[in-house]
Amino acid sequence: MSLALLKVDRPRAFPPRMTEFTQRFWRGLATGCFETTRCDDCERLTFPPKPFCPHCWSKRIAWVPLSGRGKLYSQTVVHAAPAVFQDEVPYRVGIVDLEEGLRIATRVLADNQPELDTAMEIVAVNYTDGPLFAARPLL
Amino acid sequence: MTRRVAILGAAALPVAKWQRPRDAELQVLEHEILAKIVIEAVADAGIDKREISSLAFAQPRPYTPQKYFATFIANYLRLPCTGSVQEILGNGMTAALAFEAAANDIRLGKSRVALALGINFESAIPAVEHMMNSMRATGDVDFHAPFGFTPISWYAMDAARYIHEFKSSREELATVSVKNRRHAALNPIAQFRKPITLDEVLAQKPIVEPLGLYEVPPRGDGAACIVLVDEEIAKASGKPYVRVRGKGFFHEGAHQINEVPNDMIALVSAQRAGEAAYEEAGVAASDIDLAELYAPCTIIEVLASEALGLVPRGQGARLCAEGVTSLGGRIPVCTSGGLQSRGHPAHVTPFYSLFEINEQLTGRAGERQVTDARLAVTSAELGNYNAALVHVLEAVR
Repeated sequence: MSLALLKVDRPRAFPPRMTEFTQRFWRGLATGCFETTRCDDCERLTFPPKPFCPHCWSKRIAWVPLSGRGKLYSQTVVHAAPAVFQDEVPYRVGIVDLEEGLRIATRVLADNQPELDTAMEIVAVNYTDGPLFAARPLL
Repeated sequence: MTRRVAILGAAALPVAKWQRPRDAELQVLEHEILAKIVIEAVADAGIDKREISSLAFAQPRPYTPQKYFATFIANYLRLPCTGSVQEILGNGMTAALAFEAAANDIRLGKSRVALALGINFESAIPAVEHMMNSMRATGDVDFHAPFGFTPISWYAMDAARYIHEFKSSREELATVSVKNRRHAALNPIAQFRKPITLDEVLAQKPIVEPLGLYEVPPRGDGAACIVLVDEEIAKASGKPYVRVRGKGFFHEGAHQINEVPNDMIALVSAQRAGEAAYEEAGVAASDIDLAELYAPCTIIEVLASEALGLVPRGQGARLCAEGVTSLGGRIPVCTSGGLQSRGHPAHVTPFYSLFEINEQLTGRAGERQVTDARLAVTSAELGNYNAALVHVLEAVR
């Protein structure tokens, strides 16, 4: 399933580093593809994607798509932010439990505070220098 | 057989903004301050400096220009050592790990007198700059930091979840700040001592919702030294002392959030480390007379009190509002004023917890003395309580 694509007309404030391994995640994200890695031996998923399984340490892993759906576990609005985020305050961040049983943390796109446990969708946000993902309430 | 460890002396600098801006003509330097504190602590213990044979330092902040600080101080104070000289780092747990390193040298018979010591200077570095550092210590640099998480934003999300699950409220959580300021008013080394009301707490500007300025830790500088000895030395001194009766450690193998969804606000590390410490000490949570917890925000004091079994799950905030964790209550928590009011020079904060417990268990806490205090618990943590180090301490008089 492909993520909704949003655009922001400025560079990311604190861009993630990309590696030979994680480039598949970030390049895919830019096109709305939300993937992670799954272990061929113990069949468990992990996030962020890793070149091995953190559970059983097997190196036999495969890339698999994620649904991009989940529930909001918690959230906050940051008013006191590090220097590079000064232009963005206040901003909302949160923790989302994905349907596949993975917990992630990300920006939350919502003007008002969503109730916790609200159904959320992950979206891809393309900045001028590359993508980030974010979560928003599922309408 | 391992040796038993006791605290025989301690000293701590009042928490305040001591650090001067880089361009100030006159500077306040870390080693000058720490040396004074060490001499005071060793005098308090009644120990000859030649007996000291291990130094376990909390690593200073990256803003301290003097590097290899531990070995520099060994020279500055002329302290040849046969046990060890080391500098330790573990986020907020740093000073508790340094205390453990000093204790281990005594347990193993490598030293009979060991100092756990350190200084944290950071207040002249603007918060927005400091957070550029700290945001990389409390989250994944590539998968969390790009979204703008700050160290206390994780605690704020604990608060939101706690309010949601236990039908608590910001007002109820904020009573922790009021209680801690009341305690700090009685503590000469606390950073903020003027009593505050609940309305004043709630009226402060938001920092990380739902928490406002008085519900999160202030920034400040501090220094402390704890003198640990083989218990035989403490016994022979004829003075009241504090016995290290139990310890427990647990790291949940997660950093900020567990990628496998769990009950984030159960603070499983504090639960496990607490159980281990109580077991080693041969006591139950109900035996504890007071607690000095590493709790940067109000919510964390509530969650750690619950995880350590001092109050029932889901009731910590309400019981604080009812006075159960106040001086005079059933289980006083953070009689020093806690991290919000005593202050939070992070790399040495756990030393301040141990300093307060030493004052309490040796009957020197003045107006904030807990009557007949005999057993105390301390905790230290890192991340979002992803790891915890818990000590059970006992008064010997």
